[in-house]
Amino acid sequence: MSAVETSQNLTPSQAAKLRRTAWYRQPRFSRLWAMVALGVLLALVTGEQGNTRDIFYSLETTFTGGGLWVCLALTVGVWVLREFAGDGLKGLAEKAKPGTVAPLAAVRGRFQADKRLRWGLIVLALVLALAIPSMVERYWQTVLVDQIAIFVLLAIGLNVVIGWAGLLDLGFFAFFAVGAYSTAFWTGRLPIEPPVVLNPFWVIPIAVVTCLLTGLLLGAPTLRLRGDYLAIVTLGFHEIIYLVAKNADGVTGGPQGARMIPDFSIDFAGISYKWSIDPLPYWYLLVFFIVIVIILFSRLEHSRVGRAWTAIREDEIAAAANGVDTVRFKLMAFAIGASTSGVAGVVFTSKYGYINPEVFPLLQSILVLAYVIFGGMGSIPGVLIGAAALVWLPEALKDYVDPSDRYMYLGALLVIMMIYRPQGIWPSRRRQRELKLAEQGIGDADAMSEPAGGKF
Amino acid sequence: MSLQEFWDYLVLGLMLGSLYAVIAIGYTLVYGVLQLINFAHSEVFMVGAYGSLIVLTLVDPGANPSMLASIGFVALAMAGSALFGGVTAYGLEKVAYRPLRRRGAPRLIFLITAIGASFFLYNLAGKLFGRDPSTLPEMYKNENVFTIFGAGVNITQLLQFATAVVMMIALDLLVNRTKLGKGIRAVAQDAEVASLMGVDIDKVISRTFIIGGVLGGVAGFLFANLNQVSYTMGFIPGITAFAAAVVGGIGNIRGAMLGGVLIGIVETMTVPLLGDEWRSVSAMVVLILVLMFRPMGILGERVGRAA
Amino acid sequence: MLNKTVIKLAIPVAVGALALTGCGGGDSGSGDTVKIAFEGPLSGDNVALGENMQNGVQLAIKQANASGDLGFKLEYVAADDQGLPDKAPTAAQKVIDDPDVKAVVGPAFSGPTNSASPLYAEAGLVTVTPSATNPTLTDEANGFTSLLRAVPNDNMQGKAMGDFFSKKIGAKKVYLIDDKTDYGVGLSKVAEATLKAAGVSVVKKSVPQKTPDYSATAKDVVNSKADGLIYAGYYQDLAPFAKKLSDAGFKGAAISGDGSNDAKFVELAGSASENWYLTCPCTDATVEAGTKKFAEDYQKEFNRAPGTYSAEAYDVANMIIAEIKKAGKDVEREALRDALAKASYKGLTKTFSFEKNGEFKGTDVFVYQVKSGKIAYQGNVNELIG
Repeated sequence: MSAVETSQNLTPSQAAKLRRTAWYRQPRFSRLWAMVALGVLLALVTGEQGNTRDIFYSLETTFTGGGLWVCLALTVGVWVLREFAGDGLKGLAEKAKPGTVAPLAAVRGRFQADKRLRWGLIVLALVLALAIPSMVERYWQTVLVDQIAIFVLLAIGLNVVIGWAGLLDLGFFAFFAVGAYSTAFWTGRLPIEPPVVLNPFWVIPIAVVTCLLTGLLLGAPTLRLRGDYLAIVTLGFHEIIYLVAKNADGVTGGPQGARMIPDFSIDFAGISYKWSIDPLPYWYLLVFFIVIVIILFSRLEHSRVGRAWTAIREDEIAAAANGVDTVRFKLMAFAIGASTSGVAGVVFTSKYGYINPEVFPLLQSILVLAYVIFGGMGSIPGVLIGAAALVWLPEALKDYVDPSDRYMYLGALLVIMMIYRPQGIWPSRRRQRELKLAEQGIGDADAMSEPAGGKF
Repeated sequence: MSLQEFWDYLVLGLMLGSLYAVIAIGYTLVYGVLQLINFAHSEVFMVGAYGSLIVLTLVDPGANPSMLASIGFVALAMAGSALFGGVTAYGLEKVAYRPLRRRGAPRLIFLITAIGASFFLYNLAGKLFGRDPSTLPEMYKNENVFTIFGAGVNITQLLQFATAVVMMIALDLLVNRTKLGKGIRAVAQDAEVASLMGVDIDKVISRTFIIGGVLGGVAGFLFANLNQVSYTMGFIPGITAFAAAVVGGIGNIRGAMLGGVLIGIVETMTVPLLGDEWRSVSAMVVLILVLMFRPMGILGERVGRAA
Repeated sequence: MLNKTVIKLAIPVAVGALALTGCGGGDSGSGDTVKIAFEGPLSGDNVALGENMQNGVQLAIKQANASGDLGFKLEYVAADDQGLPDKAPTAAQKVIDDPDVKAVVGPAFSGPTNSASPLYAEAGLVTVTPSATNPTLTDEANGFTSLLRAVPNDNMQGKAMGDFFSKKIGAKKVYLIDDKTDYGVGLSKVAEATLKAAGVSVVKKSVPQKTPDYSATAKDVVNSKADGLIYAGYYQDLAPFAKKLSDAGFKGAAISGDGSNDAKFVELAGSASENWYLTCPCTDATVEAGTKKFAEDYQKEFNRAPGTYSAEAYDVANMIIAEIKKAGKDVEREALRDALAKASYKGLTKTFSFEKNGEFKGTDVFVYQVKSGKIAYQGNVNELIG
């Protein structure tokens, strides 16, 4: 508390002494320490796997091994370059900037500005999305369907809730579970009998309605809560759904789950097709759903509803004062997001043919949220890229690092990303402006009142 | 449930609740000064437990230590956990939160950073110390020391409860009676004005993190002593304690204590009434019910006077 | 602290490099190697169990290569399913896409087995699981045609536990706990039925894994006045529970299954583990010369003692290796599957042979008891109760 210390009477020389920083307290040296610490951390991260019989094993091998020195040399080298050759490097970086960082920004700029280019790119992306998977190995097809497409669909749904309406939902994956268990129920695979046994295809509308209702049921009493409280309530909701799935053995099958859930098949209006174990048809189905959902949602974004969401996100009180029925629109966002999640759950369940509660842990809700933020919330292309990239990353890392370390790298990536590019990979223009305003201390960037730490 | 059983479970719930209260204070303190959910606090807790394990492995209590030696080992383990917890919380603030704070990033960004840091920390712990659980070496023979309403209380429980109470009283004094406490309250009330009044905000915030980290670390030791040490141990108590902080009124230290004890008792009472598998459900139901009727928690959110 | 521009430059480069390497790694032609894969949890919450098995498989492969009489080289492939059904198909597909993989040890858990087996069945790639014990897995309606189970299912062990309590211990009232995992619930269902059939009264409770405080449950056990306790779950959770039980003063007989039959249980629970009975479908791991040698080799290789299912995974891998050796390195997947289904192999832990539906043949379950800090062999359940 410097307030008290400086209030004493000081002679000018004493004051000067206080003002002078010793050489070792220069910011340059605290940066050196930071780099040394980073080096040690890097060595630990890349070091050997420890074991519980000798808890010092990993630490010992790291601190006696050569890896530590390599890491230290690396980080201290960066420090030296930055401190003593910083200007030159900066110049280089400036020159390199148009070549590396700018293209994405330029593409994004053109994309957002030029309508024809936008349509061209969308069509191109769609063609690629339909053509490429048939050319890759079946492993990557499986990754595309089972992981990427499902999570992209989820992320698009969550984007409505968090990116557009600004509601912090930490229990989004619970609706996925609701969709999944609806499928198991209506195909007659739970211990309780459904009134009629349906094909998973016809479960989709039912699951949508079920999730809408669940969303309303949860949302109605809780949506008047402010940001953080909503977060914890939705988190609690997810935990309840997960535990009920796990504990209510007589209804959900408990930990042993539901098995032999049939694949999709369609036999309607002359079209008859049966999906099977091959991932490609599921991919086309999911792409179809994703496209439909994107078209619907982007129509919504620029409608009266979308504008109401924006108003709520940017300033809820002002929105209410201007006659926006905030509760209704918030509920709507919640329910729309929930039903998207439910559709993903139905497709997932029918593709896998088996579910148990371990598919729906709390972690999944948190991961979907991370995908949305990582890609750039509020922007559909951003969310697509974010979900695809972060789901793909652990799969790709599998071959290069110890699989159990993958989430450590994912965590580090999230932290670095949030520090250096909080707006995400492909932010929406509006969102970018909101962040800038928030940085300057004007206006909000989400429906969570003030930025952390007050405005200073 | 007979009356005697009721007392038994009430005492057990109180013991567990005091532990939750200490963890909940860590969430609430940070929320008080920053208005952000420090999701990585559960990892501070976990690191604290590993701190005590490391210290105890180094000093090795051996078999049947004398009473004096037992006290010494407990004190050492506690110091180790406090140190590890404090350093982790400090590092977390410095590396992950301060850069964001500088630019006034929205809270959502903090949340994702915290989640990222949490992933990183617990997986790193798993990597460094192995992914099997470990147990703390035995520091004392766990016997019943006294009975209250017919319910026996053993040393582990007494240690847990006494430490929690002492730490809570110390914290209350610190926040209300010291200069640092004044600073914390000032920053909680209005950071901007506080900085104009000459409060070094960075220092106050980083010390708040350290205090929360020390409490979380010691709680980690107590939990390890009650259960065991593993790299994923933070998650469930973390979520529960966070719920407890919200139930009591987040940002409110006494609220966190009340919420912790309440959730601890509710969870423990669930065991004989509904069964162990429903304990988290009942905690979450209490949370949702409380928030439906008192949207700011039982004691209300008194961020302004973080006491 | 890091230079912002450096990061900005580095990230696209790194991502690009990853993209190139990630997608470019196509199928390389098969040479002189045959690959054996292991599918199990190599990350996530259950990684400890997965590592136990992975080490067993790796050790078997290493020893086979070192013996020098194969004529080809064996290679190990890891497939991480995190123990989760939603990650298993991806992991399985990766293994299936590699034409050199002729057999798979695993999947380790029943959930992943359920979701991955259709893929293996379609590819004709044989999977021999040393640890997935859910009885429904071998239901022929599943169509899991390439699944072989190298372990007696939950029915055998659950029944053995029940029989042991009703006939050997003579318990009147048994407190039965499952840990809310697929394994625990399956085991406890059968144990409950067996006990009830024998006229023993049963209090059935569930205590999920990672419960923060076992004191309340321990108190409930003591209050129930049960004279026997069955815990169907893993040692990670049994250890703290056993401690609380001994704190609460539980005096009855207590038993747990092979998920807890691990030296780690004694290590974690200390004196509280004393007198616990542990069942296991495996023969004694310390007496026989072969097992002893295995334990030593394992210790040397991985700097730790073998854990739950290490020896089983080692056995299964050796069984597969023996069949590949017989059939030669160019064996077709389907041929190897059929050969394994008919094979009989005497391993360290038991003799492996399979029923027509891939179920393990044989019902022998053995009882152990923790005595002065050691898991001591007691004998075959059928003989003990007989």
